[in-house]
Formats: sequence, structure tokens, C-alpha cells
Amino acid sequence: MEITSFKQKLSSCKGVTDVSVIRDNVVKLNLGNKESKDFFIKLREDYGFEHCSLITAIDNQPEFELVYHFSAINGSIFVKDSPSAVMVEVHVFLERDTPTIESISDLWGGANWHEREAFDMMGIYFIGHPDLRRVLLPEGFAGHPLRKDYVYEIHEEEW
Amino acid sequence: MAEMWISMGPQHPMTHGLWTLKVKVDGETIVDADPELGYLHRSVEKMGERRKYFMNTTLTDRLCYASSTTWTHCYVNSVEELMKVEVPQRAKYIRTIMLELQRLASHLMWAGAYMPDLGHITGALYFWRDRELFLNLLEAPSGSRLLYNYIRIGGVKRDLPDGFEAKTERVMKLFEQRLDEYADLFENSKIFRMRTEDVGKFTASQAQNLGITGPNLRGCGTKFDLRKHDAYEIYDEVDWDIQTREAGPGYGDCFSRYMVRIDEMKESVRIIRDCFKKMPAGPTLASQIPVRAQGEAFRRTEDSRGEALMYVVGDGSDRPYRWKIKSPMFTTISACPHYLKGYKVADIPAIMGSIDICIGETDK
Repeated sequence: MEITSFKQKLSSCKGVTDVSVIRDNVVKLNLGNKESKDFFIKLREDYGFEHCSLITAIDNQPEFELVYHFSAINGSIFVKDSPSAVMVEVHVFLERDTPTIESISDLWGGANWHEREAFDMMGIYFIGHPDLRRVLLPEGFAGHPLRKDYVYEIHEEEW
Repeated sequence: MAEMWISMGPQHPMTHGLWTLKVKVDGETIVDADPELGYLHRSVEKMGERRKYFMNTTLTDRLCYASSTTWTHCYVNSVEELMKVEVPQRAKYIRTIMLELQRLASHLMWAGAYMPDLGHITGALYFWRDRELFLNLLEAPSGSRLLYNYIRIGGVKRDLPDGFEAKTERVMKLFEQRLDEYADLFENSKIFRMRTEDVGKFTASQAQNLGITGPNLRGCGTKFDLRKHDAYEIYDEVDWDIQTREAGPGYGDCFSRYMVRIDEMKESVRIIRDCFKKMPAGPTLASQIPVRAQGEAFRRTEDSRGEALMYVVGDGSDRPYRWKIKSPMFTTISACPHYLKGYKVADIPAIMGSIDICIGETDK
């Protein structure tokens, strides 16, 4: 499927808003939290996005934002006259008091540790994740250091 | 026999860095694995939020000491996308040459580390001897051996020194002869092939789903290389081919990953030659480089180990609001239970060595 018709198909999906092509091979869209799982299943099964590149958690104060990057490795979605692999950038906004979203690690094995990292650093809870533990920080560490309101000691150097 | 957990690491010759691999064994056979990271976590992303955009190149250099230019380049590339900086054509060519020299040095570093894993100490000495020649080439324009800080936002630090092309050509000619020698030493060595063939196998569809990228993915037959499929710098203008191992009886194992890297080194030499041929004259640094940035941008590049992606969010100040690093090894290590299961304990160094681990980028 060509990227422009793919973009139109996406706009009709449930929960999807603001679909735009930000680079010749990247489609960006916003997605509602409730409809996220259904959309991700569709993305993988119907459109062939086999590879989950990255999950980024951003603290936008007050709400959290999750940014998913998926890549079509096998060329099911393509750019006309170009070898470029198409990517989808999905933005999901979460409330600060209840930063929860359904896990996608059952769909993409590679998303497993990205979700663990988002939990570790930003305190996002992924419902249905098989093993939601800290991954980089030690067990028993208090707080989530990449949140903007995390208080950490600053050692002012005196020289 | 009762199953039990064995802990390998954080200090173990197999780990190539500080991390722990817990394996559950039934006799000699691996039934489960649980990798643990974090021993080298330096909070690079958090540090980056407190520094100005151009200061962060010193941090990205230190993400991976075996392949520091590729990481700095990935960061610089995404910041340029964010700031909409136009890089001069000559700088793009110089960057490509540096990236490919770095890939050669990184693959040689890997090959030299992999051979002692298999009990082949001679291999380490041969490959690292060659790596030294490429480090000398990288040192010539940048001034340092491992952490170059050569690629800057808007271009490169300085132009290539006089006589660089001739020097590079001499090294590459010698290196090509040596690769033929190594084919006899390793590819045709029965012991090397017994240790690596049909070990650590995974299929292309498995690898794609688990997030395995780079030479490890190409080793199981997927023709996917971001230098072609998300072309950056001038990779779409020079002449080269993606190296894969075709589907067949022996694909997707440790030996095919070894062969993909050897073939990639030959391609790197081809790219560098072509770059020198086509390189134009001109400036090497953009004249106007902004300090502040607003918005969000990402770029992904083909690191020596797979897909590197950096996502940068700017809030209008001179420091990134959020900076996220995607490390290819982070996901590849997370998938290790899948490709360790069913093999023997003695295969662990052969398998984990073949995927080219770098803990610096993994732990961030």
C-alpha cells in the first residue's frame, strides 16, 4: 500500500486524530488511550508493521505522553519510487494521576523492555505486561528519575 | 535431573561488559534465561537535559567506546532535523567516510573479541592488529583514538588532513589482502565452524518481532539496512549493496552473523573508495547554527550493531526537554531467552559473542 492511501486509511480508524506525513516516509498521529490496543493489533496484523522501534515516555507536566515508533520492515507500506521503509509515530496522552495503558509486549516481543524502561524511568504502568520490573535502576530504588518533578541532589562545585 | 539457575556475570569473560545473564539449566541444556542490566547506567538521558545541545556530543561519544562516531552522528543528525540545519555537501562525504571507518573498526573489535570466546586467541591478535590501522586513520582528522567528538551540529570539526586519501587507500589495500588470509584461517577452519554452525539460530520473522536489527537481522536473510531504507548523508549516492545470508540450511546461526560482518567490511571499503572519488570541495561546517530549538524530531541510523534512533524534544530553550536513545543491543539482549533455549551451556559464549554486545549503549 502506498503511504498516502495508508494515511487516509489511518484517519478512519477509531480513536485516531491529527494524521499527518511529517517526512516522506513517516506518518504521525495522535491516539486515544482507550482505543490504543485495538489500533495496535490492526497496525500489526493488517498493515504489517513487524518491528517496534522505540517507546518513549515524556513528562509534559501535567500529563504524560507516550511516543511509539513502528517500522514496516518487509515493505508492506512503501513510498513511491523510493526504497525508504515507512514508519509510524503514535502519540498517546496519559493522565498524571493514572498513568496506565495496555501493554503491547504480547504483540511485539521487542516492546517488552521498552515498556519496562518507561516504567522504570517515568512510572508508566503497562496493564498486562508479563514482567513489569525495573530494568536499569536497582530493585528498591525510590521514585522515577526522568519525571520533571523528581527531586535529586545537585552538588554545586565550588571551583 | 533437577533444574537450577546459574548466574554468569557481572564479571564473566562471556559478558563483554558489566551485565548478568542468569540461565536455568537442566543438566547441560538451557531451558530459560534472564538477563539483568543496569551495572553501567550513567543516566545519559537525564544528564543531556541539563546540557546545551552542542555539549551533548561528548556524552554520545561515550555511549559506546567501540563505535563512538556512529552514536554522535545519530544524535547530531536528529538535532539537525530538529533545528533544520543544512549540512554542506563536503561535510556529508567526510561524515560517511568517518562512519564507515568506524564501522570497520567496530566490526574488527567484535571479531577480535569473538575469537577468544571460542578459544581462538590468535584471532584476537590478528583482528586487533588491523583495527589499530583504522584507529590511526580515525585519529588523523579528529585527534583522538577512541572518543573522537569529530562530528558537530552542522558539519564536522575540521577538514581531512593532507594525504588522508592515499593513507586510507594503503590501509584498505593491505586490509583486503588480510581478509583473504583470514578466510583460510577462520571460515575454512573446521573447529571454528563446529563451534558456530547451527548454534544460536533464529528466523527472520522471530527476529523482526523481537526487535533484533542490524547484522544480526541480516544474518537471517532479511534485506534491511537503514543506510538504504532510511538513507541519510550520501548513502543513496554511492555504490554499495546490502549484505545478507540467504535463506538456506545454515542461515540465522552464529556463522552467518560472522559472515555478514565480514562481507559488510568489504562493502565499507567500497563505500569509502567511492566517497573519495565523488567528494566535492567546499566548506565543512554550516555557517549558521542555531542554539535553541522548538518541536520534536527523530532520525534513525544504521549503527554498527543495528538500528539506532534518537528522539529529541525541544521546548524553545537551548537544552533538550527530552532526549531518548534507542539502543539496538538493548532489545537484542532482551530477546536472548528466545535464542539461548535448547542449546548447551558451552554454547553461551559462542551465541552471546556473535550478537556483538556493547553495554555502554545498552545501559545508557
